Amino acid sequence: MPAKTSRLTLFGFLAPAVIALAVIGVGPLLYAFYTSLHFFNLTKLKKIRFLGFDNYSSVLTDPVFWEAMGRTFTMLIIALPLQIFIGLGIALILNRPGLGFWRVLTRLSLVLPMATTYAVVGLLGQVMFNLKFGVVNQLIGFIGIGPVNWIGDPTNAFTVIVFWDVWQWTPFVALVLLAGLTTVPGEVEEAAELETKNWWTILRYVQLPFLIPGLVAVLILRTADTLKLFDMVFTLTRGGPGSATELISLMIQRVGFRAFDQGVASAQAIILLIITIILAQIYIKVFYKEV
Amino acid sequence: MAAAISTKRSIGIQIALMLTIILFAVFPFYWMVTTSLKTQVLALESPPVWVFTPTLSNYVSVLFDDGVFRTLVNSLIVAVSTTILAIALGLPAAYALARIEFRGKKDLWFWFITNRMISPIVLALPFFLIVRQLGMLDNLITLILIYLTFNLPIVIWICTDQFRAIPYELDEAASLEGASHWRIFRSICLPLAMPGVAVSAIFSFIFSWNELMFALVLTRTKAKTAPAMAVSFMEGYNLPYGKIMATSTLIVIPVLIFALIASKQLVRGLTMGAVK
Amino acid sequence: MKFRTCVSGLALMAGLSTGAAVASEWTLEKAAEPYAGTVVDVVFLLRPGYEAAEAMLPEFEAKTGIKVNIVKSPYENALGQQVRDFVANGDFDIALIDLVWIGNFVENEWVVPVSKFTSNPDLADPALDMDDFFPLVLDAFGGWDGEIYGLPFDNYSGLLFYNERMLKDAGFDGPPKTWTELKDVYGPALTKDGKYAFALQSKRNETQSADSFARVLWPFGGSFLDENFRSNLLSEQSQAGLKFRQDLMQYMPEGIVSYDHAETVNAFAQGDVAMITEWSAFYATLTDPETSSIVDDLKIAPEPMGPAGRKPALGGFSLAVASQADENEQAAAWLFIQWVTSKANAKEYLDRGGVPARQSVYELPGVAEEFAFVPALVESWQDGVPEFRPRFAEWPEITEIVQEWGTKIMLGEVSTEEGAKILGERMEAVLEEAGYYSGDKPLAQ
Repeated sequence: MPAKTSRLTLFGFLAPAVIALAVIGVGPLLYAFYTSLHFFNLTKLKKIRFLGFDNYSSVLTDPVFWEAMGRTFTMLIIALPLQIFIGLGIALILNRPGLGFWRVLTRLSLVLPMATTYAVVGLLGQVMFNLKFGVVNQLIGFIGIGPVNWIGDPTNAFTVIVFWDVWQWTPFVALVLLAGLTTVPGEVEEAAELETKNWWTILRYVQLPFLIPGLVAVLILRTADTLKLFDMVFTLTRGGPGSATELISLMIQRVGFRAFDQGVASAQAIILLIITIILAQIYIKVFYKEV
Repeated sequence: MAAAISTKRSIGIQIALMLTIILFAVFPFYWMVTTSLKTQVLALESPPVWVFTPTLSNYVSVLFDDGVFRTLVNSLIVAVSTTILAIALGLPAAYALARIEFRGKKDLWFWFITNRMISPIVLALPFFLIVRQLGMLDNLITLILIYLTFNLPIVIWICTDQFRAIPYELDEAASLEGASHWRIFRSICLPLAMPGVAVSAIFSFIFSWNELMFALVLTRTKAKTAPAMAVSFMEGYNLPYGKIMATSTLIVIPVLIFALIASKQLVRGLTMGAVK
Repeated sequence: MKFRTCVSGLALMAGLSTGAAVASEWTLEKAAEPYAGTVVDVVFLLRPGYEAAEAMLPEFEAKTGIKVNIVKSPYENALGQQVRDFVANGDFDIALIDLVWIGNFVENEWVVPVSKFTSNPDLADPALDMDDFFPLVLDAFGGWDGEIYGLPFDNYSGLLFYNERMLKDAGFDGPPKTWTELKDVYGPALTKDGKYAFALQSKRNETQSADSFARVLWPFGGSFLDENFRSNLLSEQSQAGLKFRQDLMQYMPEGIVSYDHAETVNAFAQGDVAMITEWSAFYATLTDPETSSIVDDLKIAPEPMGPAGRKPALGGFSLAVASQADENEQAAAWLFIQWVTSKANAKEYLDRGGVPARQSVYELPGVAEEFAFVPALVESWQDGVPEFRPRFAEWPEITEIVQEWGTKIMLGEVSTEEGAKILGERMEAVLEEAGYYSGDKPLAQ
């Protein structure tokens, strides 16, 4: 490594990216903070006035905000274990030797869901889960389950968005875990297989340690992505029926761009940001130590 | 003998399971494409029809009457430009993070992770207000810049990783000969890091191409991107499912091609190097 | 030549004193001469009335050399798109105003009163004839606080569409006269074998406020606000209406809270639902064999009556000149608005699937026979409620609250009283903030 690096050189390397991200990333955040301290309604720009932390206290005491937050975490708590469970199953299947062609085909098909434009997933959901012309009701009709009102019923609509989240991101979890499995040294695995035929024992004591980094990454990224989730739900249900699928991002969007109350929406967004950063910190501190 | 049968059966089960996975992953695409080839009346048939005479009329009408073509061009311009910009700005930073020791490196690192996690709605609100004052609404440049907020972290992340993997002996030798960091970066590390650059480029392209929220808030007509266009068919007055699915198909095809090309590096791209 | 020069029309115009001399030779071509090449930007929805206007547009552009640039948007995005444009001093030269947005647009000074143009003899068509618009419609869609800003363009009244054959098969000779009759007599008789008597579009969109919530308030004597602008949703009458809606749901398809206009009209068009109360604009959809399988059975009546009278749903859009446009664009925008809503073009607009608000066109021979919805429409526009949904600037915030709690009530997540109570509190909080209670703002809706 070059012994000495002048500050100027370092600056030259780092400055473009740091400045760019600061201007377009941090600048707006500061502005959002400024907005959040004001009464700031787009349709009442003449009435802008300083409120201090009033917007924050009204957001923090607003049950609708916490319901949306709760819904977002409910979604995470239901979808993530499903994704990990199914994803692990898929990874184990793909990690078995032999059947090269089939494995490649399966891996390629797993790529499709995660690359699909999120907004398109929601539109597809509208078409496929429609009560009358939806193919899903036709298919479950074949096995004798009567037409289900997927999008019009609060619980079912929530099920549908969980379904699509699982559809889109299980492949991701599967591929992450598969990548972990391939790092298990062949000798170790073979030695273990001589000792026991119990796959669970092998998974628990031999493979799991190699899966931990992947699982941590999944946990962090899925948490962040669920807090960000907007496109798919927006195009599928727009948060309805009632507020059954109104996740936090949809709610902030509604307040900021449909009720035009940018002051309150900014306060909500900043609270969301704080929650995100705290969670990311906790995850990294708790898990990365063990890795 | 018994063992052979059980292996055969287990292979059978394995293939069956893989077929199920493939079917689940692919079926929605099959349905999207077939719906896009149906006429309006056919698309609203109940129960849905599986066998029919396909028509390209939805594609013709969305591409030429509804202006989807232009939005695809916009998406392409935005995704390509923001990717190039992200790489130009991000590569040197990635090099510095990987090869130069300095104080506060860890914090800088964490700052980049955080950017990956920020919900776009957090930035969409103030960005709208700022851009409004600058008079830059409905402008491709605005989108190109704001997409850097998620593309720069991707590029820096993946490429830092890639630069780290290059043997240190190479630049040590060069630096003994008096080469500067810039020289080492340009003529030694960069060529060796090209695979990482390619992967991060593909990812920033995919993420930019798929983006909806910023596009929805910051564009109107001239700079409208394809995902924002797909959403704008959702008038409560009719259900042009065929058109919606045709537009969706047009949006999804380019990303799928890219994703398949990069399928091997996909995991790394999505976790941004967290899993090796 | 569509524009007759009609000096007598002048007598009906405001501010005519200056214009008499030149008006006799007014033609659109001449008026537009200075503005040839001007581009006018406007939002259009993806609805029949807009398609009609778009089809007529080439004629206007050929005559004037003015280019009308249409930005298409779904209804649910149209307000957001315009607000974002106006606060950014953007490009829109014409505002498309849903009647519930007018207070908002006027208060923000985003639109220019029509008097600016009607008083300018170079721009005002002598045949403009403002009195030919249905007064209720002109006032509700285009007027605010005694001033006219927009000319009614895409006009709706709620109508009862019914499937005559289904009603006949169930032993009914005609449609229900009252809401109670619809529920108690027609409901049970028509809801069977997977068919439903009625569908009321109730999705958590503007349709929940406009087509579902408000529709059951007014006929039962209820309203959003009392005369002091306090919530009136807990009044006996409002509650009666909301409870009626809950009862009526047993005769509606499952999942009615996810039905927007499209789903409702389609259910009716496929013969799955016997009656719907929908906007007049859907006449075109329902009489087109491509989109409707019940063309021959379609009949139209005014909406049923409630204890408080008919009070049918009223909705629609006017076009107004945007104040952010420069003088040339404003003039060009006005010429387009004036032309597309003109008396002379009303018949063509109607023929192409639009619903004009010109009284004269509905008196033309043959129109009532050709367009089955005309008698019911004309009747509805005689005694509608302009404040069917309050038109003040706070509506965008209030409608969000109504949409949320309205659907929650329908889903049974809260009772009608509980829902109305919360809704009322939140509504009052918005009005308080706006300054209605402190007297800062006149109680206008």
